[in-house]
Amino acid sequence: MRSRSVLFLLAAAVLAAASLTVLYRGARLLNPVSATARRVIVIFKTIDYRTTPFWGNVRDGVVSAGEDLGMNVQIRGPAYESDVQGQIDIVRQAMREKPDAIVLAAADFNQLVPVAQEVKRQGIPLVCIDSFVNSDDADVRIGTDSYEGGQKCAAALMRYVKEGDLVAVMSYVKGSSTAIDRESGTRDYLDGKVRILDTLYSNADAELAYSQAARLIAETPRLRGIVALNDPTARGAARALDESGKAGSIALIGFDNSLLVLRFVERGIIRDTVVQKPFNMGYLGVTTARELIQGRKPARFVNTGSVDISRLNMFQPENQKLLFPVTEGP
Amino acid sequence: MKIRRIQDTLIRAFAMLIVLALVLLGTLSYYYLHKILIQNAEQTTMQLVSQLNRIIENYIRYMDDIALMAINNADVRQFMSRPHADSPQLRGKIEATFESLRAVRRDIDSVFVITRDGRAIAATTGGALNPTVNLRERFRELEAGVVPDRPSVSSAHVENLVDYRYPWVISLVRALPVGPGEESPGLIQVDLNYEIIARLCKDVQLGTSGYVFILSRAGDIVYHPRQQLIYGNLKTERIAEIMSLHSGNLNAVVDGRAILYTVVSSKDTGWDVVAVSYMDELFRASRQAEYVFLMLSLLVLVGAIAAGVAISSNISKPIESLRHSMQAVESGNFDIDITVSARNEVYQLARDCDIAVKKVRDLIEQNRREQELKRKLELRSLQAQINPHFLYNTLDSIIWMIELGETERAIDMTSSLARFFRIGISRGEETISVRTEIEYMQTYLEIQKQRYKDKLSYEIAFATDLHESQILKLLLQPLVENAIYHGIKNIEGPGLIRITGERAGESMVIRISDNGVGMAPDQLSALRDGLIEPRPSNGVGVRNVQERIHVYFGLEYGVSFESTPGAGTVATVRIPVISGSAT
Repeated sequence: MRSRSVLFLLAAAVLAAASLTVLYRGARLLNPVSATARRVIVIFKTIDYRTTPFWGNVRDGVVSAGEDLGMNVQIRGPAYESDVQGQIDIVRQAMREKPDAIVLAAADFNQLVPVAQEVKRQGIPLVCIDSFVNSDDADVRIGTDSYEGGQKCAAALMRYVKEGDLVAVMSYVKGSSTAIDRESGTRDYLDGKVRILDTLYSNADAELAYSQAARLIAETPRLRGIVALNDPTARGAARALDESGKAGSIALIGFDNSLLVLRFVERGIIRDTVVQKPFNMGYLGVTTARELIQGRKPARFVNTGSVDISRLNMFQPENQKLLFPVTEGP
Repeated sequence: MKIRRIQDTLIRAFAMLIVLALVLLGTLSYYYLHKILIQNAEQTTMQLVSQLNRIIENYIRYMDDIALMAINNADVRQFMSRPHADSPQLRGKIEATFESLRAVRRDIDSVFVITRDGRAIAATTGGALNPTVNLRERFRELEAGVVPDRPSVSSAHVENLVDYRYPWVISLVRALPVGPGEESPGLIQVDLNYEIIARLCKDVQLGTSGYVFILSRAGDIVYHPRQQLIYGNLKTERIAEIMSLHSGNLNAVVDGRAILYTVVSSKDTGWDVVAVSYMDELFRASRQAEYVFLMLSLLVLVGAIAAGVAISSNISKPIESLRHSMQAVESGNFDIDITVSARNEVYQLARDCDIAVKKVRDLIEQNRREQELKRKLELRSLQAQINPHFLYNTLDSIIWMIELGETERAIDMTSSLARFFRIGISRGEETISVRTEIEYMQTYLEIQKQRYKDKLSYEIAFATDLHESQILKLLLQPLVENAIYHGIKNIEGPGLIRITGERAGESMVIRISDNGVGMAPDQLSALRDGLIEPRPSNGVGVRNVQERIHVYFGLEYGVSFESTPGAGTVATVRIPVISGSAT
């Protein structure tokens, strides 16, 4: 009799435990818009999407991921890409709000290091997209493998020039990490195949690139190829090449895909341009942030890849979305 | 055999039954709920997708209307087929016509006229044609996709015909109809703003993360909200399976999530409008129902067990109490009332048991009374056997005394006789005190002494603490009589009878000894046998004594004899000491 009542009590306890579990699970179930939605703050170099459609594309990826994963995603950033201090302040403010994770596109490789360290100290997962910081503080870096991008430029160039031809490399900011990586990728690929002139630096200024390229073209009659390693440099070089009328004999390879660059590609002034995948950067930035929140250990670096675009493939369906983002409402 | 309590059996049966019922019910309702949810989802989604498809078809038809209107426009025909008629005036007229169309419908991005010989008119925002486009080449590309008298609809694409604008559009192309074997001189391209289609698709709500996408006849993506992810291999769709389905539903697991594809094919456009619903979202309602069901199940289970306990205790408690009562009866207690609180068969059973037990009790009582009565009757019959010869002899003696004139002695003897009978015949009590018995014997011996004169003398010595003890009435008189008649009557000289009573533990030992002739061994054994096996002719009185003792006090008590021929006989009576008056 006694053992029976013990058994009964045991059964009652099990029942009670089961009910509690069910109750707990059920309460979450009955409330589909879970209060536990993760909050991620995404900080861009700039949120002026009109002048830099690249970031509009990143934004589309970020928003898509937020929708797909049911996460609360907030996008912030300074009005100008050059406003590094503004971005640092934005990161500080974000930290104070204690989000579940921060996704950052660092406006400056070195100046953002201290604030990235602060984020790290606060235990907030940090994902860097597109542009990284000069430290180990980002849990994951997601962006284009610049070295690989540089190699793609060189590979494209080699389709238009012969071995032993004279070519030039036009970089943008001396000391910029992506510029260094792109340039070494290009040079390593071209090394031994063609003769390469000293690298020119445009400071990412289209006008400077234009004048540098114009002089280069005028002073180097045997020049057969130019690799311009970012968008303004490519634009400036393209304009100089167009005006020189030597677009037929000098192959220009660009980087990135502003509308102007694409126009030059369409016209054949720029033969190829290597484009990045900003949408994927944004999308993966958020999905990776979630993985970190969930305590998983994603790869420390994700290469979102780049694509070699020419006049021939620029209107192919898989490239159209990449090159011409569907502009949506505000 | 292992005895199981009814209560346990019932609770177990109850719990098992309920659990079984719940599992069965749960499985069935889960199954049907899922089925219904899937059916509902399929139907609803199919309706949504069909509706979306109709809207898109309407847009396409509208574009086709515009294309038809344009191609039937006399100015356009002239522009297409007569290059020499090309003039700014004609172009202006055509542009004005198209612009008025565009002004009405903002969803039309552009209308183009392209001729085989590479001339074109663009009615579009911005106006200028993209100089890098080779129009003859473009004409040939477009012409390749066109069936005469039928519109051809493109996938979503970037339109590069307009200078410095790369709008996303869907193009509808119609060629100017010509006679068989002739080449069409020109075609009309109407561009529908892609955002219209995108917005239509985006507005379809399918759960929280479901969406709609569109495939072209060739399996290219016309619209997909995550097109870039697909190109980047970050997302996949089962395009081949969808293409083979045409219209209907398809279940698949994509990127780790179970999804339902709902596909509607459009005849007009050749597109497949595909809805993607996530099963886990469809079944959220089902999971809620499951949860409610589980809660209810637990409640029902608890309730059922409680009911089982209540019902079974309702049944088994009366049985238990009945069992306790019957156990009491088993151990010999018939003096109980068997009642149970229940009002059912158990109550009837208990009542029947009660009646049975009471009947048994009555029977036992009756039996006891009958036994007692029988014993009393036996005793009575035994007591009645006072030797009649004693009366005759005494009366003879009295007569002789009167005849001899010994009046005083006659009076004494008569009064002694009277006293003797008063005691002997006194009714009621079976036992009397030892003192009364002694008195009785004295009376008897006094009477006999009148007859035997000096030949008889007696002594009576009883321990005084025995005087109030109870003894069977007239128990000793036959033994005394025996001692006189068979002992001292036949000797020469004076005879002495000694009667002693003493206590031996809980027993009383009474000895009646005489100094008479005694008994030979065979005589003695005959007497002893007579004690055991009564013989009617011999020793009636003595046997009477033995039987009375046995009947009243039990077989462990009785009378025994010792005798030596020529020296006398001793009769020893052993009975219990009973103080006060017994029954």
